[in-house]
Amino acid sequence: MVRGDSQVSEVLLSLDGVSRVFGDEVEVHALRDVSLDIRAGDFLSIVGPSGSGKSTLLGLLGVLDLPSSGAVRIQGTDMADLGDADRSRMRGGAIGFVFQQFHLIPHLTALGNVETALLYRGLSAGERRQGAMDALEQVDLGNRYGHTPIQLSGGEQQRVAIARAIVTDPLMVLADEPTGALDSQNASNVMDIFGDLQSSDRAICVVTHDLGVASRTQRRITMLDGGIVADELLNVAGGAR
Amino acid sequence: MRRIWELVGVALGGLRARKVRTALIMLGPILGVAAIVSAIGINESSKGHLKAVLSDLGTDLIVANAQGSLGGFGSDPRIPEAAAARVTRLPDVESVTGTLQMADIVTLPFEEAEDFYRAFPVPVIATGLNLPETLEVVLASGRFLNDFDVSTAARVVVIGRDLADEYGYLRGEARTIQLNGIDYGVVGVLDYVLLEPSMDSAVFLTFANAEEDLGLDSRDPSRLYIRAPTNTKLVAQEVPTVISLGGPDGANTSVPTDLLDAQSQVDENLNNLTKMMGGLALIVGGVGIANVMSISVIQRSTEIGIRRALGHSRGTIAVQFLLEALVVGVLGGILGAAAGAGVVWLTAELRGYVMVLSVVGLVGWAMLSVAVAVVAGLYPSTKAARLEPLETLRLG
Repeated sequence: MVRGDSQVSEVLLSLDGVSRVFGDEVEVHALRDVSLDIRAGDFLSIVGPSGSGKSTLLGLLGVLDLPSSGAVRIQGTDMADLGDADRSRMRGGAIGFVFQQFHLIPHLTALGNVETALLYRGLSAGERRQGAMDALEQVDLGNRYGHTPIQLSGGEQQRVAIARAIVTDPLMVLADEPTGALDSQNASNVMDIFGDLQSSDRAICVVTHDLGVASRTQRRITMLDGGIVADELLNVAGGAR
Repeated sequence: MRRIWELVGVALGGLRARKVRTALIMLGPILGVAAIVSAIGINESSKGHLKAVLSDLGTDLIVANAQGSLGGFGSDPRIPEAAAARVTRLPDVESVTGTLQMADIVTLPFEEAEDFYRAFPVPVIATGLNLPETLEVVLASGRFLNDFDVSTAARVVVIGRDLADEYGYLRGEARTIQLNGIDYGVVGVLDYVLLEPSMDSAVFLTFANAEEDLGLDSRDPSRLYIRAPTNTKLVAQEVPTVISLGGPDGANTSVPTDLLDAQSQVDENLNNLTKMMGGLALIVGGVGIANVMSISVIQRSTEIGIRRALGHSRGTIAVQFLLEALVVGVLGGILGAAAGAGVVWLTAELRGYVMVLSVVGLVGWAMLSVAVAVVAGLYPSTKAARLEPLETLRLG
């Protein structure tokens, strides 16, 4: 563990002694006693082989799941203390997801997909539309807002997904193998966008098995057998902190 | 409120994206509501028509037919004139007319037609003078038989409307017809008698003429028409006793409009059956909605996972799917009610009824479709809400 300079930034999300056990009769310990702080300004990657617990950790970081023991806190609030409605609201506001398979809603346009993230937040249709357009402009897809996913290339779909993730101005962008379905050029573009998105009040977390992708981040967490085996700073000199 | 509209927008978007599926699941409510609305509408329109006919005819006419050995054993039953007079004196009875249909009278519009009219005899009815008043029928032309005709033994007849058409009788024409070879002047044409259509092709003459010229043995009628505006049913029950004075034989009575009432009851049974089938179609439609939407939830599990990841709660997802069912129910109900109303209108046009359709009923049956759709949507929407995003998004 080589983390030493992170006290200066606010802890956005923390895992405190988190374990996750699946199954009733045959228990599978997917995570064992994991503790982790993600701070504002972090640009980190989580790497590890299949079965190391990456997906489980991703579910917990994204508040899509709750731990069997331990606590997941977003800005100090324990997620286990919240009901589904509040937890969902917290997830929608604090986390922006980017998935390997893009996961755009097929019958909606690029604009409609991005707008979906702004639903049920008390915004007018005009405000939603403007916010979504701004996010699409940010990923250079302002001119493709009326296209449905099938009319977009893989790289463009992933950029729409990134626009959807950042349109709510989340505390953390959580990307699950974001370059896994892309060619190297598009993969590089996507990582460039993540680099551009990095800011002092936001964290970017990329889950990947690609060490090349991980090397583009500034902090690398390595997992094995349900535990964190390394938490290293990379490229610190170029970091935002 | 804004949230509700957003949810409605999402639900409509989901339905629009799968138009064929949406149309198919909407068919159930449409057929169910259309069947119920049309069954009720057609029945109500038909009832309205019957009521109009009944009100035209009046429901207070009683017909009493002689039966048994009244009038002498071995002969056709007759009602003694004195008995008819007793009926006239009953309270509630407004007017009574006795008639007797005579047999074997050859009626000819002109002599050359004898062969034809022997083969197809025209009914000849000896009648009291107040028949139009009792039946509440007007004369299409001319006048009815009167006291003057009786006192002067004038050979005059009134003919029914159909017979006048058949004879080519012109309004006001001085015309004679022959009854058993004796010339009679036609003095009037009786308008259509809805309760006794046979009278439309009959010849009416006085009992005096029938006795004088056609060999009638007495003025006893075989049938009484009784108009009793109040206590009609009670009078109908009393009349046989009044005629027979407690003897074994008398008369049977009927109220012809009862038949029409019975006819509407038969329609009611058919109507209930159709309503039940419509209800069944609605239930089957509901099962269809539940079934198709459950499959749809599985097909759309990724979309549900995405929405959950974007911060939509389980409750929001459930409401979104429930709203889809609700929209199906509302549209199905409206389209079904419109289709049903269309069927009622068409039927009313074809049968010449006045269309009777309750707007409250239409709304009510459409609401039933909504209720069925919402109940049917409960299971799939609960299922959608319970989906775990972690499983549907296949992370890692």
